[in-house]
Amino acid sequence: MFRTTLAGLLAHKLRLLLTSLAITLGVGFIAGTFVLTDTIDAAFAQKFTADAAKISVAVLPDGDKADRRQDPILTTGDLAKVRGVRGVADAQGIVQGTAPLLGKNGKVAGSRATAGISVPEGALNRTVITEGSSPAAATEAVLDKDTAKTREFAVGDTITVLDAKQVKHQFTLVGLFDVGVNQELSFTGAVGFTADTARQMTGAKGFREIDVRGGDGVSPEGLRASVAAALGSGYTVKTGTQLADDLAAANNMDTAFIRMGLLLFGVIAMLVAALVIYNTFNILVAQRAREMALLRCIGATKKQVFGSILLESVVVGVLSSVLGLLIGLGLGAGALAVLGAVDAPIPTGVGVSLSTRTIVVGLVIGIIVTVAAALLPARAATRVAPIAALRAQVEESTFRAGMLRIVFGALFLLAGTGITALGVSKDPGQDALLAVMAGGCVFFLGVLILAPLIVKPLSAFVGWLPARLFGVPGKLAVDNSRRNPKRAATTTVALTIGVTLMTLISVVTTTTRATVSEQLDAQFPVDYMIGTQQHDATIPRTVAADLRSKPEFGSVVAVRETQTRIKGQSVNVGTFTVDPEFKVAPVTGSMQDFGPGTAAVTSWTAKELGVAVGDTLEAAGKGYRVVALLSDQATPVYGVSLTEQDFDAAFPEAMDRSVLIKVKDGVAAETSRRIVEAATEPYPAVLVESVTETRGAFDEALDMITMIITGLLGLAVLISLLGIANTLSLSVHERTRESALLRALGLTRPQLRRMLSIEAFVLGLIGALVGVALGATFGWAATQTMVNDVVFRAPVLQILGFVALSGVAGVVAALLPARRAAKASIVGSLASS
Amino acid sequence: MTMTTDVRQAVTARGLKKVYGQGDAAVHALRGIEVGFATGAFTAIMGPSGSGKSTLMHCLAGLDTVSAGEIHIGDVEITKLNDKQLTLLRRERIGFVFQAFNLLPTLTAEQNIRLPLEIAGRQADQVLFDRVIETVGLGERLGHRPTQLSGGQQQRVAVARALISKPQVIFADEPTGNLDSRSGAEVLAFLRRSVRELNQTIVMVTHDPVAASYADRVIFLRDGLLVTELFEPTAQTVLDTLMKLEA
Repeated sequence: MFRTTLAGLLAHKLRLLLTSLAITLGVGFIAGTFVLTDTIDAAFAQKFTADAAKISVAVLPDGDKADRRQDPILTTGDLAKVRGVRGVADAQGIVQGTAPLLGKNGKVAGSRATAGISVPEGALNRTVITEGSSPAAATEAVLDKDTAKTREFAVGDTITVLDAKQVKHQFTLVGLFDVGVNQELSFTGAVGFTADTARQMTGAKGFREIDVRGGDGVSPEGLRASVAAALGSGYTVKTGTQLADDLAAANNMDTAFIRMGLLLFGVIAMLVAALVIYNTFNILVAQRAREMALLRCIGATKKQVFGSILLESVVVGVLSSVLGLLIGLGLGAGALAVLGAVDAPIPTGVGVSLSTRTIVVGLVIGIIVTVAAALLPARAATRVAPIAALRAQVEESTFRAGMLRIVFGALFLLAGTGITALGVSKDPGQDALLAVMAGGCVFFLGVLILAPLIVKPLSAFVGWLPARLFGVPGKLAVDNSRRNPKRAATTTVALTIGVTLMTLISVVTTTTRATVSEQLDAQFPVDYMIGTQQHDATIPRTVAADLRSKPEFGSVVAVRETQTRIKGQSVNVGTFTVDPEFKVAPVTGSMQDFGPGTAAVTSWTAKELGVAVGDTLEAAGKGYRVVALLSDQATPVYGVSLTEQDFDAAFPEAMDRSVLIKVKDGVAAETSRRIVEAATEPYPAVLVESVTETRGAFDEALDMITMIITGLLGLAVLISLLGIANTLSLSVHERTRESALLRALGLTRPQLRRMLSIEAFVLGLIGALVGVALGATFGWAATQTMVNDVVFRAPVLQILGFVALSGVAGVVAALLPARRAAKASIVGSLASS
Repeated sequence: MTMTTDVRQAVTARGLKKVYGQGDAAVHALRGIEVGFATGAFTAIMGPSGSGKSTLMHCLAGLDTVSAGEIHIGDVEITKLNDKQLTLLRRERIGFVFQAFNLLPTLTAEQNIRLPLEIAGRQADQVLFDRVIETVGLGERLGHRPTQLSGGQQQRVAVARALISKPQVIFADEPTGNLDSRSGAEVLAFLRRSVRELNQTIVMVTHDPVAASYADRVIFLRDGLLVTELFEPTAQTVLDTLMKLEA
């Protein structure tokens, strides 16, 4: 039996390859994910180790005492103590705080303040200077090379940096440095000073870390013990190696998150691949019924027939998984190259790592999925009666919808609809979303069961135009597409999965965008927002007063915020100045009652605090009655809003956090922009944001996310197209004599090719239509669970694009099988049975 | 070589050779055949297995290429045509009836009959259609699919399909090979009637002396050569000739 199977496989290399490709791509993606994340982990570990080699011992404030809002610090006293320990050759305190760099326009550069760090002298220096030199004097500074590039600063220039009190200081730029793998610094950008200057500029009360270098012959472990003993409790003292290990472990947590996200798409791809394999084996078994029957005739048992099919699937599984691992290696390396090219903060120059785990996971998943998908077809093969070998022709399989199928399918559809409806009717939140997702999965199972029934009417619908447009080939193609409803259903469902998810994502993002902008327009009509880079920076109240005096502006609202504790939780509390044109629309309750002694709370915070309209909450020793709940998105103050008088009385030291400006109708954009900029000119730390631009940036970010997700889902679509190609080529094989007959009757080669292309086109469209319908419906349901008052938008053009692309992709998938069918000789095909 | 084409010949072949494979493995299926098939006649091609009768038919019908020689269908020398031209020629001038698998399973009997016309984009001659349908005797079964028809009915549909486009010649390859004797007789009688009533030219390959006896003329092949022929054959004379050939 073993020999028969292998001979059969070798005789059909192309078929084997097509079948394997589906699994290969899935395994390749999964393996690629592991290769990518493993390599990043390894590279970080290597980098951390290299850095840590310079350090014998590192002292950190004790993590347990850390308050999240206030960085724990080490004092100069601590540093002196460490320096006094025997065996310490050198000890340096590491300073890191904010030191906003001013751009060439005199305003703070970027939306986030640059970090200010100390660049230690001597061997303990871990900062990599790429150009120029380290700062040696109080008037010298270095800048990270990415910020230098975007802000157009070069070595020798004079740069201006704000200190903690927002006073300008000038420095000579003496060098550029590489932030390396420090995610935080690469995000904000950083300015480096000598240790003393860094402390003055950032206003840091101490150090984040003290790095210690031991003298010759002093063991790090011994030094760690003596430093720890000298400092007493409240400190974490690590050797350099321990520090590197801990940093690497923390970093691995981050990559684990990325890995999980990517693997999710890998799982979807494997699911689609399983459908493709299942379909392929089903067709193969049907086509080889006579071969099976012959084997049974000459004495093979049912078990042996079952075994031979399973063995075939094992061979396919092993081959494709091995290929998949190789592809994964390539994918991982490619992704790294791309990340390196876009300057992602990832160490480069490390070899791609293929770990044993990657190999094991890839092989196991590939083989298990292949074999599991082949189980049912293998069982079907055992049902072939020996007598079938003697029948002249394999009968055309006729599909009859069994009662059981209809009942089960209907039950699943009903249950899915029920669960989804429950989710939609619930209050927005995670539970509701989960219910909708579960409902979607159950509903999809129902569609899967009923698909063979849906295919026929759908192909009539989709094929209506091609059948009329393309004459005989068109008509025959549409007939062929529904000839074997079960096969057509499985083929198209594989495509449906990808299209459903793509549509869902695009519906959700479009609706989110529409909802947010609608809410902003309706309740929060602002043209400019004045704010600051840093969370704790404020805007002098004179700015708002000044702007209010300009006739060009319709309304100017100042927002003040601070943190306080309510019911034991740290909550944002704030106020916004009254303006007749500026109305905040509540979700529940009424803002008419909003006056002294009352509060309005955003929905999420209200939930967190467990308060409702009518309840009283206590803040800064005074009680406030909640009169309204506000939207989480379109509200000036996130958290608790009080009236201006109440807020100023309770928190007199709070300054303006932001100023919202609505320009009067008819004022040109340049005019208004100039006035706003002139008013904020004296305050370099104050930033002007145009809401239009902000929304543009938001839209861009959303587009980016949609694009990435769609791209990742593209893999599942690609695999399902392989499935279409596979099914079609097997159908072509099955209909060899039919094609020959048509050719004999006068169908030209191009017409025969067209016939197959149209069949694939119809299959593609069926899959896409079902996917689009499901995706739009459940996308709608999902958006209903996110926020109240959703503005539903279906991205019609995008969805039509998915449908059209699926049809075209189907045609592409048909290219090879169609070529083969058209090339076949008529006489040879007529003779074969 | 100058030759005039005899207009009374629907199909002629001259110096026809067909070789499969090369070198030592070469098989000479046809070794130089000279033959003509008269318009409005029913000719049977016979011969032992491997004599080349099917190859001859495939070549004559333009389904297979020849190694040497020329074939005319009417005034067209088909050995000079490319695939596309051949396809169009088959559409316009040739009808086929195969031993099995003559009909597309997805189409009804009537759709199958009309298929060649639809492929060619031509309208059916309604008078001819009605007459053919009447002769086929399938009346109420026209809406059925092939799987719902008996073997004999399927072959009659195939013949009707071949007739409907009024081809210059119909090639039938063992049309009764898969049928019981009664259904076979029905199909053969139908073929014969279409020759008499519609003046159709039919060339039929068969190994059955009884089937051959329905023809006007039988030609005999052996080892790729035309060896003899019989006019107004009976099953007995055909059988006798075959016995002599095989001996």
